[in-house]
Amino acid sequence: MGVDVRSAWKFFASVKLAIALLILLAVASVIGTLIPQGQPSAAYAARYGQLAGLLTGLRVTGLYHSAWYLILLFFFAVNMIVCTLARFPAKWRRAFRPEVETETARLLTLKVKDRFGKNAPAEEVRTKLEMVLKARRYRVRSRASDKRLCLLARKKMFGHFGSDAVHLGLLVIIAGGIVSGLTGFRTYIDLSEGQTVKVPRSPFEIRLDRFETEYYPQGMVKAWKSTVTVLDNGASVLTKPILVNKPLTHKGFSFYQTGYGSDWDNPKLEITVKKKSDPTFARTVQLSVGERVAVDDKDAGRISVKRFVPDFVIGEGGRVETRSQEPNNPAAEVEGWKGAEKVFSGWIFADYPDFEQMHAGSRTDLSFVLKSYRGSEYSVLEAARDPGVRLIWVGCFLVTAGFFLAFYWPPREIRAVLEEGRDRTEVAAGGIASKSRESFQAEFEDIMNSVRRS
Amino acid sequence: MVESTLFTIVFVLYILAALFYLAVAFSRNEKWAKPGLGLAFAGLVLHSAALLVRTFESGHAPFTNMYESLSFLSWAIVLAFVLIDRKFRIPRIGAYLMLIVVGLVALASSPLMPKEAMPLVPALQSYWLWLHVSVTLLGEAFFAVAFITSILYLTADSEEKKEKMDSASYRCVTVGFPLFTLGGLVFGMVWAYKAWGTYWSWDPKEVWSLITWLVFALYLHTRIVMGWKGKRSAIIAIVGFLAALFTYFGVNYLLSGLHSYT
Repeated sequence: MGVDVRSAWKFFASVKLAIALLILLAVASVIGTLIPQGQPSAAYAARYGQLAGLLTGLRVTGLYHSAWYLILLFFFAVNMIVCTLARFPAKWRRAFRPEVETETARLLTLKVKDRFGKNAPAEEVRTKLEMVLKARRYRVRSRASDKRLCLLARKKMFGHFGSDAVHLGLLVIIAGGIVSGLTGFRTYIDLSEGQTVKVPRSPFEIRLDRFETEYYPQGMVKAWKSTVTVLDNGASVLTKPILVNKPLTHKGFSFYQTGYGSDWDNPKLEITVKKKSDPTFARTVQLSVGERVAVDDKDAGRISVKRFVPDFVIGEGGRVETRSQEPNNPAAEVEGWKGAEKVFSGWIFADYPDFEQMHAGSRTDLSFVLKSYRGSEYSVLEAARDPGVRLIWVGCFLVTAGFFLAFYWPPREIRAVLEEGRDRTEVAAGGIASKSRESFQAEFEDIMNSVRRS
Repeated sequence: MVESTLFTIVFVLYILAALFYLAVAFSRNEKWAKPGLGLAFAGLVLHSAALLVRTFESGHAPFTNMYESLSFLSWAIVLAFVLIDRKFRIPRIGAYLMLIVVGLVALASSPLMPKEAMPLVPALQSYWLWLHVSVTLLGEAFFAVAFITSILYLTADSEEKKEKMDSASYRCVTVGFPLFTLGGLVFGMVWAYKAWGTYWSWDPKEVWSLITWLVFALYLHTRIVMGWKGKRSAIIAIVGFLAALFTYFGVNYLLSGLHSYT
């Protein structure tokens, strides 16, 4: 058991695994963008033929949610945890529990180094060196043993932990993704003006007060704007407009403007009434379904619309149906009335004004054109609750801060050994910086020169 | 009108800069580098002015269609070039980078790219448009410089030149990668959450940003932890830039998804 744990630990602590996983994740992700994701299986059959079964079997068609992609991510996460843990204690000791003592010989093996003698007592040289180092924001410690004085000066030690912060941030982001996946919830809500609905899984309701579409002078859509009131136990709590990019948030739920649609149950219609016997005659009436309106003419009587469909089609058994909710073939069933008696009825089509299909036995001198139709627009809001999102922002912050530390907060360390001779002090110094060595070299030389010249 | 005149002048300045830098590359005489840099810098200043004019005229950030975003990207590449050249004194990269810039500006000016500033569709009306696109493109500009320095590393004939190109590449990645992560992924996620209610939707552009990110993560791990340098690092940086290029360009034309605004 102990051996198993140790070998598993060794496996996950390896950087080679990290590199293999980065490559595998990249390649898998590429595949997922080349093959359309989440299509119905018929679409794959049409596109890939015999290969379709293989692709669906390997879950390449829902790659980013497939078990094997998630397992790769899981390995990636464990790899980051183990790598970070394995290296952390030594790093911590190096950064915050340093050995002040240094061998002179070791200093002279460093790339950044200097050695000189100075006609002054060791204590005086030390004070000067400390002053110069502190002026450059180094934290200085020293330890003296007879005739030998060791000095350790360091700064920006947090720079050592940049990569750890990035890794921790990525783990927090992955954790956030898991929380989102498990507890996140989203749904679309269609709302007409004045309508109130209970938000699923929440204790409150929302009501759409107004839905407006604003246009630019050129005719393009400028904004969709839903003014919404949140109701808690029937009492309105807040009223706010929701626009694209400006969601409303209440008690952990956010509402997004995601779309709009037209409701064809109760459209506003305009019908132009003409007479076959009199080409100059034309009267336009406005009406809604079920409403009987008088045409402004003594012979014409009244007309009504029995039914409206946005996308006319004859379905099974000869029944009129609508193929979709899009106004592809809008049609209205018109009825003519003399008193309480229905004298004719038939369908008229907005796109085919010349095609009139009046029922047999309902001959009339009148003809009709479906001039305009307007469904009442409703707003489509997305309601979402995502408790994982806070973790995501924390993770993003850690990643960004980690990058800053890793690349722009370079840790620096200068060690010096002062040895007091008869009338002079021998100074040996060396510096360690793993990043931006050139500017460190310059700083080191400046420091040493100012001590030398003082 | 002012903007297109400025843009034409900028185009000419960049072409002249490219010619001077070509002289540097072929004569191996660095005396042409100074006028080249001067022209590139003059181009950069006027280009900045052109972008500002467009911003004031259209009233929105200058990267809402391909023309604008190509213009901004070429501006960012010239900026990255000037900064890196200041630090490393490698005018040889100027020829290739300025040719890329000239190519991008030519593409932006071509009749294929609609140039009129259109009013913003609702989805783009957000200050995150500024942050997301500008920081991402700036990061990608540094990847472009890393791409050129990496290629020149592979073709360089002396150790000294190779050394310089290698450290310049690394510096570009250490600047470009944090910018790309912050602008492309972090700001992208924040904006996606505000606009679409979800910070990540596996949209092709998102996935390709992730792929680019993984490649540069590979670059840093092989380099810092495993001590890879030189040739292998250069190859990874080249692959990374190509992935970034595909994220920027290819996704819009070859794959469809949420990011189809242009």
